[in-house]
Amino acid sequence: MAVLSGPRSSGGLLSDRRKPTPDVVMFVIMVALMALGVLMVYSATFVRLEAEGLDPTGPMRRQMVFAGIAILAFVVASIIDYRQYRNTAAFVFIAVVLILFAVLFMPEQRNAQRWIPIGSFQLQPSEFAKLGVIMVVGTVLAPASETGMRWARLIATLLAVSLPSFLIFRQPDLGTMMVFSFITLAMLFVAGTTFRQLLVLIGAGVATVVAFWQLELLDDYQVNRILGFLDQQSDLQSLNYNLDRSRIAIGNGGLFGQGLFEGPQTLLNFVPFQTSDFIFTAIGEQLGFIGSALVVSAYGLLIWRILVIANSAPDRFGSLVAVGIATMLIFHVFINIGMTVGVAPVTGLPLPFVSAGGSAMIAMGGGLGIVNNIWRSRSPVPGREYVPLR
Amino acid sequence: MRFGWRLATLGVVFAGLLSVLFVRLWFVQLAEGALYAAAAENSTIATESQIAPRGDIVDANGIPLATSRSELVVVVDRAVLSNEAEDQVVSRLSAILEVGPIVIRSELERAGSGQVAFISDMDITADMAYTVLEQRLDLPGVTVEALPERLYLEGSLMAHVLGHIGLPSSGDLERNPDLDPNVVVGKLGVEREYDTFLQGTPGLVRYTINAQGDILDQVDASDPVQGDTLWLTIDSVTQRVVEQILADVIVLAQDRKDEKEPADRRTLPTERATALVMRVDTGEIVAMGSYPSFEPQAFVGGIGEDEFASLSEDFAFNNLAIQGLKPPASTFKAVTYITAMMEGIFPRDTTSVEQTIECSAQLRADFVDDSQLVYQNWTRASDGFQNIHDAFRRSCNIYFWELALSIWRDFKGTEDEDILQDWASVLGFGRRTQVDLPFETAGILPDRELFDEWQVTQPWRVRQEGWLGGDLMNLAVGQGSILVTPIQLATAYATMVNGGTVYQPQVVDKIVDANGEIVRDFGPRPLRTPEIDPSVVASLLADMGSVVRTGGTAAAAFSGLDGLELQMGGKTGTAQGFVDAEGLRHAATAWFAGVAPISNPEFVVVVMVDEGGSGGAVAAPAAARILTQLLGGSPTPLVAGVDAD
Repeated sequence: MAVLSGPRSSGGLLSDRRKPTPDVVMFVIMVALMALGVLMVYSATFVRLEAEGLDPTGPMRRQMVFAGIAILAFVVASIIDYRQYRNTAAFVFIAVVLILFAVLFMPEQRNAQRWIPIGSFQLQPSEFAKLGVIMVVGTVLAPASETGMRWARLIATLLAVSLPSFLIFRQPDLGTMMVFSFITLAMLFVAGTTFRQLLVLIGAGVATVVAFWQLELLDDYQVNRILGFLDQQSDLQSLNYNLDRSRIAIGNGGLFGQGLFEGPQTLLNFVPFQTSDFIFTAIGEQLGFIGSALVVSAYGLLIWRILVIANSAPDRFGSLVAVGIATMLIFHVFINIGMTVGVAPVTGLPLPFVSAGGSAMIAMGGGLGIVNNIWRSRSPVPGREYVPLR
Repeated sequence: MRFGWRLATLGVVFAGLLSVLFVRLWFVQLAEGALYAAAAENSTIATESQIAPRGDIVDANGIPLATSRSELVVVVDRAVLSNEAEDQVVSRLSAILEVGPIVIRSELERAGSGQVAFISDMDITADMAYTVLEQRLDLPGVTVEALPERLYLEGSLMAHVLGHIGLPSSGDLERNPDLDPNVVVGKLGVEREYDTFLQGTPGLVRYTINAQGDILDQVDASDPVQGDTLWLTIDSVTQRVVEQILADVIVLAQDRKDEKEPADRRTLPTERATALVMRVDTGEIVAMGSYPSFEPQAFVGGIGEDEFASLSEDFAFNNLAIQGLKPPASTFKAVTYITAMMEGIFPRDTTSVEQTIECSAQLRADFVDDSQLVYQNWTRASDGFQNIHDAFRRSCNIYFWELALSIWRDFKGTEDEDILQDWASVLGFGRRTQVDLPFETAGILPDRELFDEWQVTQPWRVRQEGWLGGDLMNLAVGQGSILVTPIQLATAYATMVNGGTVYQPQVVDKIVDANGEIVRDFGPRPLRTPEIDPSVVASLLADMGSVVRTGGTAAAAFSGLDGLELQMGGKTGTAQGFVDAEGLRHAATAWFAGVAPISNPEFVVVVMVDEGGSGGAVAAPAAARILTQLLGGSPTPLVAGVDAD
């Protein structure tokens, strides 16, 4: 586990360790991904906007503003002591539930109620709810025994997650529901579930899915997305059109890509939702396999850093929160890129820091800020008692 | 290390997920990348083709026969029209184009819903076109285009050679998926045979489009290139004469029958005839007519169902010159003549073809199986003692039957049994001449093998005993089961008088592209070279000459031609009339195969008149007029010759 013990060798100058040093690698990767996102949003929109006589830099500039706010959120969250979230977990929980409840009274857009309009900005509370759920679950699980969890705690965790999940289901937003589930599962596992508890959890999960299916609680489009994913040759056009188009765009990239601002599929608006859910097709077509692999590697590095931070966190709450955020990231990355190349079903999960959209960007920036705060609070020597930060 | 192994497990799972993405990206972008790249290319480029004008067709002297003009067509894109909008468009167009709304509606329906409909063939004037364009705002999806259209300049002249055009049928499209279903193709004649040359190259404009199908930019464009020009071997002046003579000979034959036939023995009316002229030393067709005929222009813009049905009923689309199958009758005696001369076959009791035998009124043939048959010559009485030359001139069946009997007696059952068929076959009977026109028929050249086959496949056509001497006797005089096309006969005669080269007949001389470059230059195409002694050729020519002079079967038909008949020769033929299974009386088929000038043969003429009567009386005078035209003589009215075989 030497690898997970951080970039610096242990036994160095203790005085240095007491200083709150930010995780530069994490920050640089985040900003680089944001910059890539800004470029990709521009590449996917400027041709059409020029054709319509509109300012071709509009969406790009909007994206730059969101990136700026997200960096601000990162900085702010880096300063706020993460243990405050544990102390205020009850309020966090109530806030999450209230805001998700409020969304259900908002006007329907694209067959769903996910957004709260604030001026020209559409706030998507579910993005922030993901962080809230991580805090709440971390709080519930922090006292758990490392070598075996009591069933009562497990059930308490599931109950805590179930109310926000239900509200999300009503929007409906299956993607975010899945995010909640996987975050909870990963945090439960790291917090110390027994093998038997894990099996029961997975069994219950499968049973839930089957129940949803049998009771026809899912909308047709949701069923079709899943069926379309399972049978990619089929003619479930609504889904597989997107899938075909996105795969054609990515395949068109080849090894080196068509070049920035050169991808015909991207420039000509062939892929639906290309600045948001399908932004990776713009990367794949313009930057090719090399660019795509670099982007995936960047996420890999980022997540590796967060796991290292989880391992060196001063307390179990910090460790669990870092694990939750790492899981949130990897799940978004896998589902988002996976759906564009046909290994994951189509869900509306954004590609972190890259997809157009403010809520996810700011929430993710804040999330990394929290992780950075955990890093700054780490103990000087791995395994040692935590030294308070002042 | 509090969470050590659990965190590590999570890390491995996460790494696994990222690896799946790597592998999948590698697969999509590199392993299958080319596939997707091709799909990407196709989805961003839209092409629009512009119909190319069809190539011209000109006669041997460059006189245009078929060309292309541009016709104004109203184009309606039904894809952009809602039902109500379409109703509006129909009523507005109906007012502007001055045709009933039903007509326009039916044109739209014909194209299919959501398709582009072409409203053509309605005499759309320039004024109407301007009105349509002016009202463009009220006529969504409607434009006016000038589209190329076929124009035949000479009415029905050589219709069977030119053929006609039409939109491709489902069969055509299946055979050639590259065809544009909106662009006409040749259906008959050289229009069909040389369709790929005549089509031209459509203009192509390529646009980049976005996912919504909006045109963003023009990538490139090429103008349509008119199809190649076909230069026919046919001389339209001679062709016109030939077609006139065919029309005349139909009347002549019918008048004779009206005059001669007893009321209770009337034969079917004379309605069909054909004639062709071929150059003997190249196989080029100088003229080819088939009666009745049709107007190719009627097919432009679509022929009416009734008109098509009526023409079909008259067999007007059949080119009798290459499809009309009849027994050649005595014209085939030239083949028997050549066989006898070249193979040294003599009639019974003689030792040379120059020796005479009596051409009596009938022949009793005793066969080895003790059967005996009596064959009647066409003359009522004995025609005197004749050698092969006399027999040819007088068309004496007895002599040629005796030649057949000699073959039967000497070679029956051996491989030389087919010696006559071998000569006939090499001269082109029983097989297609490969003329460059579609739907040619091959005819029938009977022999023992074919009869054995028929015993199994079509037993009603043959006797149980199979091939017998009598069948060979029939063949020697061109009767019985043999069926030939006029072009086969012309090819065989050309070969016999040119000394033994079978040329592939051709109606197209050369193909020239839109820039005037020669694409194809068809020289003479020799197919086979059966050697015929010059002395035999000379003898045959002399005997063909004697046929048209005093004492010959066609003497009367060739009289009064200002001495030009001295340069002509030929052979008459009269294929027996019969009563068919329905009890209908058929008149004889009148044949004449002619050649001129006999001193140095240039042209072969074949005339065939279905239900025409005697070859000497009906076909021979027609051939004489055609030969006169070829030799530069002045036209004389068509009058009947004398009945002769």
